[in-house]
Amino acid sequence: MAAGPRVDYLAGFCCPVGGLAAGRPRVLCHDGRIYLSNGSAFVYVYDQEGRLLQAVYRFPDQVWHVELLPLHRQLYILCAKTGIYCLSLDQQSRVTEAPTGDGDGDSKEADGPANVLPVDADACIFPDADLCAFTLLSNFIITLAQAQGKWWMELHELPAPSQEPPACRHISKVGFSTGAPAGGDGDAPASRFLPVLCCALAPGSGDGLWCSGGFILAEPLFSLLFGVDAAMLDSPMILGGFPDGQLCSVPLKALSAAADADTNATAGPDPPVKVLHHLEEPVVFIGALRTERREADEADDPPLPPGDADCVVAVGHYGKLVAIKAGRREEAPAPELREYYLRGPVLCAACSSGSRMYYSTHSDISAVDLECGSNASDSEDGDDTAAGVLPPVLAPASLSICSVVALSLSSRAAEGESELLALSAKGRLMTCDLCSPEEVHPVRLTPDKAGQRIKELLSGIGNVSERVSFLKKAVDHKNRALTCLNQVLDVSAALLSGQDGAKPITCTITAAWSRLLLRDTLSVSCMLENSSDHSLEQGWTLCVQLLAGTCALDEATADTGTTYTFPVEQLPPGGQREVTLPLGTAEDAKLELPLTVSCALFYSLREILDSGPDSLDDLFPDDSPLLSPDREGICLPLSECTIDMLQCLRVGEAAGPASAPDPVEAFLETAGVQAESNGTSGSNGLGDECLVPSAASIKVSSELLKSALKDFSAGAALSCATLRWLLAENTAAEALSSQDVAEVRGLAPDGGEVQLLIREVAMNDLCPAGPIQAVEILIQSSSLADLCGVHHAVIGRIQQALVLEQAAQGSGPPDLRMQYLRQIQANHETLLKEAQALRDRLCLGDEASATAEKLLSIYQQLRNPSLVLL
Amino acid sequence: MRVLGVQAWVASSSGPGRAAKQAALQHRRAFEKLLQKMQGLPAVLPTLPLELTVLYNALLFDLGSSDCIVEGEAEGIRQGLLRVLEAGGVSGPDLSTEELWQKVLQELPAEELRAPLHRLGVLQGVLWLAANRLGSIAGLLRFLSGAKDPVLSPCPGGENELLALLRAWQVPADEDTSPLVVQSAWDVREVLWTAAAFLQGLQELEAGNLPAALSLLQVAATGFCSKRVLAQIYICLGCCTQQMGKPQTALQHLKQALQLDFQCLAALSQAAMVYHQLGETDAELEALALLHEALDSPPPEAGSAAPGSLVRTELLVHPPALASLLRQPSPSEVKYLLAQRCFQAGRTAEAGEHYLDLLAVLQEGPRHQVPLHGQSALPRIPEVFLEAASALEQLGRHRDAIAVCEEVVNRMGDLTPETLRIDLSSWDGAEAGSPSPRPRSGLPRDILPQKKESLRCILWRAAAYLHQGWAWAGLADSKEAITQFTRCLNDLLRVQLVSADGLHVGEVAAGALPEAAVLQRIRLLALVGRGAQFLELGRDRDALMNFQYALQVSPGDLAAASHLLQTLWKLDRRQEAAVLWQKLQADSGQTEGQQEDQGRSFPLYLTLCPQPANLLLDGSLARGLQDYLRSSGQEP
Repeated sequence: MAAGPRVDYLAGFCCPVGGLAAGRPRVLCHDGRIYLSNGSAFVYVYDQEGRLLQAVYRFPDQVWHVELLPLHRQLYILCAKTGIYCLSLDQQSRVTEAPTGDGDGDSKEADGPANVLPVDADACIFPDADLCAFTLLSNFIITLAQAQGKWWMELHELPAPSQEPPACRHISKVGFSTGAPAGGDGDAPASRFLPVLCCALAPGSGDGLWCSGGFILAEPLFSLLFGVDAAMLDSPMILGGFPDGQLCSVPLKALSAAADADTNATAGPDPPVKVLHHLEEPVVFIGALRTERREADEADDPPLPPGDADCVVAVGHYGKLVAIKAGRREEAPAPELREYYLRGPVLCAACSSGSRMYYSTHSDISAVDLECGSNASDSEDGDDTAAGVLPPVLAPASLSICSVVALSLSSRAAEGESELLALSAKGRLMTCDLCSPEEVHPVRLTPDKAGQRIKELLSGIGNVSERVSFLKKAVDHKNRALTCLNQVLDVSAALLSGQDGAKPITCTITAAWSRLLLRDTLSVSCMLENSSDHSLEQGWTLCVQLLAGTCALDEATADTGTTYTFPVEQLPPGGQREVTLPLGTAEDAKLELPLTVSCALFYSLREILDSGPDSLDDLFPDDSPLLSPDREGICLPLSECTIDMLQCLRVGEAAGPASAPDPVEAFLETAGVQAESNGTSGSNGLGDECLVPSAASIKVSSELLKSALKDFSAGAALSCATLRWLLAENTAAEALSSQDVAEVRGLAPDGGEVQLLIREVAMNDLCPAGPIQAVEILIQSSSLADLCGVHHAVIGRIQQALVLEQAAQGSGPPDLRMQYLRQIQANHETLLKEAQALRDRLCLGDEASATAEKLLSIYQQLRNPSLVLL
Repeated sequence: MRVLGVQAWVASSSGPGRAAKQAALQHRRAFEKLLQKMQGLPAVLPTLPLELTVLYNALLFDLGSSDCIVEGEAEGIRQGLLRVLEAGGVSGPDLSTEELWQKVLQELPAEELRAPLHRLGVLQGVLWLAANRLGSIAGLLRFLSGAKDPVLSPCPGGENELLALLRAWQVPADEDTSPLVVQSAWDVREVLWTAAAFLQGLQELEAGNLPAALSLLQVAATGFCSKRVLAQIYICLGCCTQQMGKPQTALQHLKQALQLDFQCLAALSQAAMVYHQLGETDAELEALALLHEALDSPPPEAGSAAPGSLVRTELLVHPPALASLLRQPSPSEVKYLLAQRCFQAGRTAEAGEHYLDLLAVLQEGPRHQVPLHGQSALPRIPEVFLEAASALEQLGRHRDAIAVCEEVVNRMGDLTPETLRIDLSSWDGAEAGSPSPRPRSGLPRDILPQKKESLRCILWRAAAYLHQGWAWAGLADSKEAITQFTRCLNDLLRVQLVSADGLHVGEVAAGALPEAAVLQRIRLLALVGRGAQFLELGRDRDALMNFQYALQVSPGDLAAASHLLQTLWKLDRRQEAAVLWQKLQADSGQTEGQQEDQGRSFPLYLTLCPQPANLLLDGSLARGLQDYLRSSGQEP
């Protein structure tokens, strides 16, 4: 068995279903206590020695960052959209006993309300909703906020512990923008990655200042990186890593910009802010290492003081590691910068006090060693060139601990061993002893040690099992995705192959009136029928698109479509599902007919990929163009249908006050209609109030109709059959099919009355061979709009049915008296010209009412041609 | 209704600042809620005046409780106008705000709407002013004052049209019967008028249109505003008059500003600048000392400017030009100015104390900010150290000077390259911080600033060695002094200035690269200093060589020449001495002036160096030379 690190599980903490996300969780260790936040609204204090949970604090929102200030025994917590809270560590003795998930790895910590201390608003020392990050330096707090498209770094002095009320004293502030504007106006892009802040101290200034997560940077790197002035001021430097990949430094003693820095719109940050590097991926960690061994230094340079770092490292989310070290060039000393590529995505990282850095990905924690020139002394190049140069490649060493979202090096320095504290995505807190392989020496097993060894093995097994479960989950997820894809392909193939004949999956569209919420409502119902061999699984959606105004009269509104989607939960072969869409009520009269309804099945590919345990983070970065969540998928059109006036006619209901549910309402309704027509005069007020019922007629030759309506004319008179045919798709007119009626009255959707009258006539003048038998369809309505609608619908039907029929039969029309036809045509042409002239005049706006009147009568004449469809 | 709320506000607004702010926030929320409720109902004419008044009050609290004007308020007014149109049965959702106003005022001339609409108009003016849309305001005012006569009586004498329109505007009086308002429209109009004058004045000032700026600012000063804003106006007046060449008037204005608001420290720093230009060092130093004292003491609690008024001038006028005018210097800057001016004025003792204070401040924690940006009065930090060393050296505090220089030497240690080769032909584009250096000789662009910084580091370290040499000389330790001067010269040898044809260049470089001139100056001073120390040790030949080199570096230098003369005389090379003396006397007139000029362009730490006594005036040497010349028959 390989000499793996010793992993010890301490406790489990609650975690969301998908596991903890990286970035927000944090573990800190100080003085035998572990301070932990898992990205939720809770902060836990855990006693490492006693292995018990000491306190749980609840904050009003997600906790984004936690820092410890041992000097004042205070914990600082950044709470999303609220601000920074300060907790005194001495308060925690209030919670004495608390159950923990000690040793039992699977138990999720229940947040018993009795043990949770809600943090009150008084503890908020720094309220600011825009804050993204902060860091502490002794009794100073440095905050970073995003507002107005810029980053604002502010320096405040912390209140003394005894100060009442606790309020920070503002010292200075600088605003700057990193290259790309932070998402224009919104701060949406900041949601996933937060900026990272840390503090670099000048050499020799470490004794007076204390900073968490910061480091002391040795000379000459400090001067080279931050400039002579900052070095001579011994100014602490704030290093900031931003979601857009910039690595910036700001001197803390010169944290102010020129007053009118806003005006010069030059790209790049303002003077005190210096861009050190651009990682081109979100920065997740900044740290420092000591890459040169002390012994090696003794020859030419004075040894570095212990603890001073000589190399700054920054890690990007997708695995780019940048190490910056003082270069040893003869001319113009400059920082040397080297980029490495690790296997990403990096969730978190931590630096040891030596030259090792640990970083965690979904599958493992790895250690990389940046020690400089470790073997260089034996190479023949000589010390001058090889020593002090960063290694050309990195060799990550695995620790075999997977999906850790927060790392920190515990400071149990007394025992001389370093220990890694880790919080896994499943919410488990563990420690991991770090001993380099050569230090592992075989020992004879004493009973004591054997017990220890067994314990180690057991936790090793636990670790392996967690890893296995993670991998298993990933495999399961992929299998599930493949199954889904297979089903989707089956369904698509079935639909596409059955193109010529009937489709195996159909959608029938009907329109009907129903009474809904005391109102008569016209609704479209789509019946999805699965007659294929495959079942429609979860993930399919039925999309119903309503496209208003397909008629040529009104081209302006032709593209106002609305799409409704209904998830198809599961539809086994032979199953049916009906969805109903209310189009409009009888009262609101806003319905625009005809209406095209088209149905399609849609399957979102995102659906498959999204349900994974660790989502798509790794596969697709946030802004990946590969998948946009709303569009990418498979779309299979099913059917299309036009709903016109004839289908929406409420047959058999007479108009009039008696039919209105409430006279007051009716009155109000008419008043409303009037007010509206006044308000929008000029748009469609033309003829709405026409009291004389207008009429339109269409004549069709009986021969033609007879042959076309074979199915409908079973035994009935032609006129009745015609009416039945016209109203065949009208659900309200089913009663007609059993009766012989040639006349019907109905209500249009907007309440206007419409009368359809069918009669057989003989046309004498047309044909020299004798009178032609024809069927006249007479439409009468008091509302011109309804009349037009019905007329349009009837013409549509006749075109659809007869023209096709006739073309198929190929029988020529009987002889016609051409001169008569020409005369009619000439009449119509003059009428049309007149209409055109009147419309022009109407546009000019002279004598609007009179012109409109005339125009109306001409249109009516045009609608009554003495022609017959043969 | 909120009548109670308004009264409560008026009562509470006299309280302390923080409580008033809290109260304002509460009222703002209450008014917003009320407004939401009212806007939930259909708009009808009879309730509109009340609704618009509530909107007015809500917007006032909105403005009063925020520190800057945001989009929300403009949207509020727009919403109000749309409601008015809705009540009148007119639609206009896609009109711009200007067009909306026009439509509202033209189509709905209802008398009862006049007062609330005018009130809303005042607020609209406030928002437009904050957005610097002065034209829109003027347009709105023309509509409000009746569109019948769009051309107001032409304003004679260039009286500003916008101000005249504002003045002529009949804002409805607030009778007690109407719904209460928290700040009367008349008040807000006055604020608007003042802010308009102030803003336009500033714009003219920025454009360099000084007389117009002056008259506008003077008008603004008569307006309705808080003392703080009035002080700011006076500062701008001072700045304006100073630019017009009337420093005394400027000082008067600045004094007025200070009388109004003693916290207005920008006035003090401006006054110091004016005194500096007038050459009144005493007054300047006094102003700077006062400024430093004021900056050092903790600022008092910022009280609320004018109780009861929510819309303030401060809210409306904040162009960047004002921010740079009102920039409050940091204590370290003021300390440096004090030290520098004292040093320049020859008050070395005070200068030394100030420099030491400054160095202490620089070492302190981040509480004391040290501005490093372009507008800062502070030079680069190493230069501050060198100036301090120079002042201490002048004071005779040689050990302190050595210690300060040692710090510079140590800091530069890691930053100075072994050799620095600079091709001067590639500098012509890069000098003086020009943004686009032309890398003609294959030098990568980003190397140039780095090389320049390296050059500066070398120069700073060399200057530090130079000062140490002087200090050791002052301590009468010639050997140590010579060591330091030699280090200085060795450092300078690291720099290789190369021109296009590969030759060393001296004087030629000075024009292209100011640092090159500084380098030559340091070399000269070090050579002269080392020569003088060799003389002390009695190594006259070494001294002679140093002086000769020095004269090669800077042929016209008087100190080097007179030292050389003295050494030649001492070495009994009388013939050469006599020739040199004659030459010196011939062009002594010109060189005096030249040296003065040269001295000015050098950094402060190099201008005040220990000058050797002018040997030409030394009686014994001159007499000896004259005797010699007479005896050898060369006397003209």
